[in-house]
Amino acid sequence: MKRPPVASINTVAKRLVGRSDLLITRKSVRDSLVSLAGLIGRPVVDPDGREIGRLVDVVVRHGEETYPPVSGLIVKVANRKSFINGARISELTPSLITLSSTKINLEPFARRPGESLLDADVLDHQIVDVDGLRVVRTSDLYLAPFNKEIRVVGVDISFVSFLRRLFPGSLSRRPTPDHVLDWASVASLTDTPGVVRTSGTRSALGQLRPADLADLIEDLAGREQGALIEMLDPDLAADALEEMEDDELEGLLRSLSAERSAELLARMEPDESAEVLRDLEDEHRESILSVMETGTAKQLRQLVSFDEELAGGIMTTHILVIKSSATVADALKLLVENRERESSDGVVVVDGKGKLLDHIQTVELIAAQPENLLSELVAKPFPTAVSIDTPIAEVVEEFSNNRGSSIIVIDEKNKPIGRILADDLVDALSKNRGLFSQGGGTRS
Amino acid sequence: MSHVTIPSGRKLRIAAFLAVMGPGVIAGLSDDDPAGITTYSQLGAQFGYRLLWVLVISTFALIVFQDLGARIGVVTRQGLIGLVRQKYGARAGSFSAVALILANLGTMTAEFAGVAAAGQLFGISRYITVPLTGIFISALVLRGTFKKAERVFFILSAVFISYVIAGFMSHPHWGSAFRGMVVPSMPFNRGAINIATATLGTTLAPWGLAFIQSYAVDKRLTRSDLKLLRADVWVGSLLTGIIGFFVIVTCAATLNHEHITNITDASQAARALQPLAGTLAKDIFAIGIIGAALLAASILPLSTAYSISDLTGSPAALDDKFDEAPLFYLTFAAITLVAGGLIMIPGVSLIWILISSQILNAILLLPLLIYMYGIAKDKKLMGEFSSGPRAKALYGAIITLVAICVLAQFWFIFNL
Repeated sequence: MKRPPVASINTVAKRLVGRSDLLITRKSVRDSLVSLAGLIGRPVVDPDGREIGRLVDVVVRHGEETYPPVSGLIVKVANRKSFINGARISELTPSLITLSSTKINLEPFARRPGESLLDADVLDHQIVDVDGLRVVRTSDLYLAPFNKEIRVVGVDISFVSFLRRLFPGSLSRRPTPDHVLDWASVASLTDTPGVVRTSGTRSALGQLRPADLADLIEDLAGREQGALIEMLDPDLAADALEEMEDDELEGLLRSLSAERSAELLARMEPDESAEVLRDLEDEHRESILSVMETGTAKQLRQLVSFDEELAGGIMTTHILVIKSSATVADALKLLVENRERESSDGVVVVDGKGKLLDHIQTVELIAAQPENLLSELVAKPFPTAVSIDTPIAEVVEEFSNNRGSSIIVIDEKNKPIGRILADDLVDALSKNRGLFSQGGGTRS
Repeated sequence: MSHVTIPSGRKLRIAAFLAVMGPGVIAGLSDDDPAGITTYSQLGAQFGYRLLWVLVISTFALIVFQDLGARIGVVTRQGLIGLVRQKYGARAGSFSAVALILANLGTMTAEFAGVAAAGQLFGISRYITVPLTGIFISALVLRGTFKKAERVFFILSAVFISYVIAGFMSHPHWGSAFRGMVVPSMPFNRGAINIATATLGTTLAPWGLAFIQSYAVDKRLTRSDLKLLRADVWVGSLLTGIIGFFVIVTCAATLNHEHITNITDASQAARALQPLAGTLAKDIFAIGIIGAALLAASILPLSTAYSISDLTGSPAALDDKFDEAPLFYLTFAAITLVAGGLIMIPGVSLIWILISSQILNAILLLPLLIYMYGIAKDKKLMGEFSSGPRAKALYGAIITLVAICVLAQFWFIFNL
C-alpha cells in the first residue's frame, strides 16, 4: 500500500473539498490546543488552587457530533481512581485542570456505552488516516474548547511528537501541531459497540473507493478490523469485501459474528459470496447461512454446491429475467430498480416457458419505443449460452470466440440461471494460477 | 487457451505449506549464528555430553515463544515493538526499541566477526570477506522482492547440514549423547552456570522474537494460515535445536575428548577440529559458520528495521519502495554499515562490543518475554486466541527460568 508522507494541515485541508469546516484550521482553535499526552499525570485543582488529585485519563463520548466532547476525567485521588464529571471543568491549560467548585462528587468510574478513554484506548493505538489512506499510530491527541464543551479536535501522528513525549517536564507538554490531522479526517478504531458513529467520520470513509477500503481493512486485524467495518455503511462494506483477497476475506469472516458475516455476504454479489463460503469449513459456513434470510441462503447454498471449475461455480445468479411479452418500459423499470447491481447492463428475455431468447442491452432498450414489446427486439446476434457443467477452459474459449462481455448460463431445460461476466472469469483464472506460485508476500 | 489444471488434495496441501513456510524456519535457524555456534562449541568442549539437556530446554523455550510470537503477529497484525508501545506506553516502547537497536548492532558486529574469522581459515582477508558480505545482504534485501529474498534465506539455511555431516564425521558416542539429553546433571561451578545461561540466551534471542512477529505481519499471513505457520515455527525451532545438538556432539567427541576446553570462538573450534577429525571436517565446519553468519546478518538489520518502523507507527514491508518507507531502509543501511565498519578498523578489540551486546540481549530478553506474556493473555488484543491457564503457566515457568539465568549471569559478571 502506498504511504504518502505526512501531510501538513494545508494540504489536508485542500484535499478535503466540501469539508471546509475543519476545526483545526481555525486560528482560535489552534491557539488553544492542549496536548493530551502532556496532560496525563498533571494536577487537577479546585478553584482555590488546592490539588485534588492527578489526571489518569480523559473520557470522551462518541455520538452524532463530529468532535467528541469530554464527558469526564479519571483522577487519582489518594491512590484511588475516581470519576469527575466533565461539566465541572472550568479551565484547561496544558499543565493544569481547574474545576469549577470545591464540592466534588467522587464516583467510581464505570464505562458507559459509547465512551472511550483517550489514553487507554486511543493514544498509541492504531487509527485510520482517511485522507492518507493508511493505518497509523496516534502520537498525541489535542483537546480544545469548542461549542461550549472541551472536545477532541485533532490527532497527531508524527514521530517527532512521539519523541517529544519522552522528554521530561514542560517540553513534553508543548503542542507540536505541524502534523495534526483534524479529528473529522480520521477514523478512531475504539471498540464502542452499539454506537451510531459520528456522521463526519462516516461520510469521510464513505468517500473512499471500495478497493482503497479493502486495503485499509487488510492492514488491520481483530477488534480494529471489526470496528472499521462497523463504521461503514453496510453496502459500502460489502463492496469493499468483494475487493479483498480471498484468504484475507476468509480470515476476516472468522473474526466477525455469524450475523454480521451473513448481513455482509448477502449484500455482496452472489458469486463472490459463494466463492468465499466455499472455502470456509462446513460448520462455519452453516452458522452463517443459518442466520441469513431464507431465500438468499438457499440461492447461496446452491451456488456453493457447484464445482468451482465449472461454469456453475463462477457464475453470478444475479440476472434480470423478463418475459418477451413485457414491454420495453417494463424492462427499463426493472433495470432502474436494480441499478446498484453489477449485472444491470441489460435484461435476459425468455419465452412463455422460461426458455432463453436473448440478452437485450440497456442501450437497445433506450433506443426503442417504451410501448414496444420485447419480442420485437429479439434478434441476432443471440447471446452465447453454456450449461452449468461446462469446464472453465471451454467458457474461456467461448469468450474469445465471441468477444462478448458476458455469457449466459442455462440449465438442462434451456432456462437462464446465471451469467458469467468477463471479470468473473479473470478472477477464476488468476485464482487457479495463484495455487501454483509458492512464495507469500502477496502485498504488491 | 491453455488447459487449466488444479493440484489434487495432497499437492495442494504441500503448495499451501510452502507458501506459508519460511518465517519459522528462517527465524529459528538464524538463532544458530556464529555467536550461537561459539556457545554450543564451548558447551561441548568444556562439558562433553553432560549439558545437552540445557539445549533441550532452550529449544523447548524457543518453540513456545516463537509460536507465541507468530500467533501474536497473525492475530493482531502488528509488530512486537508497536504492541509494546500501545499496551505499555511510549517509554516502554522506546526503551525496547533503543535496547534492541544497540543489542542488534552488537550482535551484527559478532556476525561480521564470524565471517571474518571463518574467511581467515581459508586464507581470505577480512577486508575482502566483510565488504562482500555487506554488499551481498544489502543487495538481497534492497534490490530483490520479498519472494526472492525468502528463497535465498532458504538456500542459506541448507548450509546448516554441514554441521550434521561434521557431527557424523567426528564419531560421537551416541549413548552418552542420549543420556546427556534426558538426564539433567549440573556441576555447580561458575563455568557451567555461565555456559548454561549463555546457551539459553543465544537460542532465545530478542531479535528473533521481534523478527518472527514482524515477518508474519509482512508476509500478510491470516488466521487461516495459522495452523501451517505454527507447523513451520515448530519445524524451524526443532531444526535449530538439532543443529545445536550436532555442534555440541562434534565438539564433545573431539575437543572434549582430547581435553581442549579453551575455545573462545567458533572458528577456533573449527581449527581445533582439523587434527582430530580431518581437514574436511574443519572446512565443512567453517563453511557452516559463514552460512550461519550470512543468514543471521541478513535477518538482524531486517528485524531492527521492522522494529523501528513499528515504533513510529507506520509499519514497513520488504516490498515497499524507498520513498514509501525511508526509515526502514535507512535503519537497515545504518546497522549494516556501522557493524561492518567496526570490524574493518585495524587492530580494534571487539571483545567489549560482543560482551556488552550479550549482556544487553540478556537484559532485553526478560522484559520482552514479559510483554509477550502480557499481550498473550490480553483478551482485547488476542480475542479467542488469548492464552488459557495452562499456556500461561508454561510461559510463566519459562520466564522464571530466564529470570534466574539472567540474575545468575549478572551475579557472575559483577563478581568476576
